[in-house]
Amino acid sequence: MIAIAKRTEAYTETEIDDEVVLMKLDSGEFFSITGSGRAIWALIDGQRDRAALIAALVAEFDGDAAEIAADVDDFLAQLVDEGLLAAG
Amino acid sequence: MDPTAAQQTMTRETRLRLGPVPPDPDFADMAEQTWRLLGDRFMLRAAGDHRFHYRRGHGVTVERGEGAIVADEELWLNGSVYAAIACINGLLPIHASAVAHRGRVYAFTGPSGAGKSTLVTALGGHGLPMFCDDTLVLDLEGGAGDGQVACLPGHKRLKLTPEALALTGAVAQERVCADLDKFYAVPPAGDVGAVLPLAALVFLEEGGEEAFLPIAGAERIARLQDDHYTAQLFLAARGLDRGALFAHLAALARRIPMARFVRPRDTARFASGVALAAEYVKSCDSSD
Repeated sequence: MIAIAKRTEAYTETEIDDEVVLMKLDSGEFFSITGSGRAIWALIDGQRDRAALIAALVAEFDGDAAEIAADVDDFLAQLVDEGLLAAG
Repeated sequence: MDPTAAQQTMTRETRLRLGPVPPDPDFADMAEQTWRLLGDRFMLRAAGDHRFHYRRGHGVTVERGEGAIVADEELWLNGSVYAAIACINGLLPIHASAVAHRGRVYAFTGPSGAGKSTLVTALGGHGLPMFCDDTLVLDLEGGAGDGQVACLPGHKRLKLTPEALALTGAVAQERVCADLDKFYAVPPAGDVGAVLPLAALVFLEEGGEEAFLPIAGAERIARLQDDHYTAQLFLAARGLDRGALFAHLAALARRIPMARFVRPRDTARFASGVALAAEYVKSCDSSD
């Protein structure tokens, strides 16, 4: 398993309305996390790997595992693109 | 700091004397038409050797050296100098004109030329008194403890272009200064001199159909960051880095309801836009 971890040194984080807003410290750019992304982001703790994230979401939302897995993959890919995850 | 204390601070700190500015090597190399803010000190050099110096606790010194344009002095004092003093004393000036309704402030912001002054003047025709023109000073610590942000009443006279005078029907007084095509005017529904909480901050935008649209989430933080005039002074006064500024703006954004007011810049549609804005202000109050 490869634990998924946030690059906490790369951003600062706050919540406003129904969004988690990250500001990248190197560029000042904002990255806004809404909807299912919020739940995934909250579960990324540096311990869980992809499978554990999906299992936790399926348990939390009683959802379809395949759909949730697709959401997780999309979201993680986005975070990697934005430089917000540590290289696993 | 309670609101009255903030007002007293501004009155005390903006006291003025004429004479040579104190010698200070940190301000010696400044070009004309520039300002510099260092900790609790501020210097603005206008045309020629026209200098404005402020130091916390010492008030403002104005030196009318060679090339000074005395007629412009009030504009500098009420503009950048006032904003810098506000920032150094823990207040937050933003670029906005505002009206008051039932004890709360509705502020309209946008870049120069967006129509802030014109709109608040026209709202006077709907019975809404002016709260401030061009600069709104926020006292983040001066709220009633309910999370609301306190606003200090305006310190500037209303200034309008000839087009704005024609649109709003306001009566022109004297010209503001020789090289500026603006005139002082009296707000039609008068003005308000009390410290009041901020009800909403509305961003003026050009668009097709008149509409008020909510602003939520990250965009609220980004909008506050876009007020560059304020952001520069505020950053200089607080010495904040990027992360700290973000945290500060986020905290502020959570406390200020925001909306966009989209309307066409078409004089034929001006009155209906103003009517919609008046309705918005009055409906905010009734929905509480």
